[in-house]
Amino acid sequence: MNCEQARLLIGADPRSGAAELAAHLGECPACARLRDEMLAFETRIERALQQPPDLSRVRARRPVAPWREWALAASVLLGTAALLGVWLLRPSDTLAHDLVTHVQHEPDSWLAAQQVNAQGIGNALHGAGVALDLTSDKITYAQSCWFHGHYVPHLVVQTAQGPATVLILRHEQVPGARSFHEAGLNGVIVPAEAGRGSIAVLAHGAGVEALAREMQQDVRWLPEPP
Amino acid sequence: MRNPQPDSPVLSIGGRLPAAGPGAPITRLFESLRPDLLRFAHWLARDRALAEDIVQESLLRAWRYRDALKDPAAARPWLLTIVRREHARMYERKRLELVPLEDIAETYADPKAADTEDDLFALRHGIMRLPLEYREPLVLQVLGGFSTEEIAQELKLSSTAVLTRLFRARNKLRVLCGMAGVPDAAAPEAAP
Repeated sequence: MNCEQARLLIGADPRSGAAELAAHLGECPACARLRDEMLAFETRIERALQQPPDLSRVRARRPVAPWREWALAASVLLGTAALLGVWLLRPSDTLAHDLVTHVQHEPDSWLAAQQVNAQGIGNALHGAGVALDLTSDKITYAQSCWFHGHYVPHLVVQTAQGPATVLILRHEQVPGARSFHEAGLNGVIVPAEAGRGSIAVLAHGAGVEALAREMQQDVRWLPEPP
Repeated sequence: MRNPQPDSPVLSIGGRLPAAGPGAPITRLFESLRPDLLRFAHWLARDRALAEDIVQESLLRAWRYRDALKDPAAARPWLLTIVRREHARMYERKRLELVPLEDIAETYADPKAADTEDDLFALRHGIMRLPLEYREPLVLQVLGGFSTEEIAQELKLSSTAVLTRLFRARNKLRVLCGMAGVPDAAAPEAAP
């Protein structure tokens, strides 16, 4: 019997009287020490097994260690920070994704070539409580779309780089401008200068930031419709 | 079983076997072993009430098959085996996790404490925390007095697999009690 086999047997059955083990212990002080240690431990196990634990004592004994209070406080703080982080990140990530999805669901909007007349633009804007100081000859698509629980103006504006979609989001607040690229679209969401809401611009080409800056100045909020 | 079967010849009020009649000697033998059986079942089931149910069912079963017990001296291991099987059946039926282990984990005494009552308390909970695959052979060996071969036969494992589980059970307890773990000399468990 080698040391490995002896350790296995000692650990599995400290009271084993196997002759091979006894012979090995006579030659191996390390294993003999382990055996003595395990026999002492075995006595404790035998005593412990004589009586299953009183679980009522478990509950009575539960002290709240000071470190647990600190750990609880820290976990609450971390949880709050995580929620705050999620909340702060939410507009940029999920909003951008939802905008892209919305635009993809209206592919015809990119194909319109004719200017939308003033009345058409007005219909798209006024229902959402928005006014726009933009020359109408640039707008080739104007609809009022249901987005995130509100009607929002959905415009397509012709720019030097091609058509760009503009969504005016009165009810979506963003802490700052954020660009995104998803599904072949370049996009940017910027806070509206009117002090609330935001504006999203999406296009297949470049120039979304420049249009977004222009729109920031052109958008005005009207009294919100009932 | 909290409600005795109507046709059961063995249960009286309080769940005891009858102390009189033709089966009285074996009844007394079974009853004398009840504390052992209950302790054993409690370690397996980790719940006192469930352990009582298991023992009750086991004694009923033992009574039905009492003719199979040829040697009264073998009654204890015979009954322990019945209890183990009854526990396995109940475990399969209910898949219960009855002891809040989180509570147990938080109640360890200082692992460096001397062999005091608190130390035993911690060790008891360490045993309770062992997975059944380790706890069962350990209890069978230490409390039941079963040999490695007998445990292997009962659990339908190879002797090597039983040795491995017993080794690891004790090693886990050593670590739980703040002692150094023995380098794992156990081979991967062989198939039965």
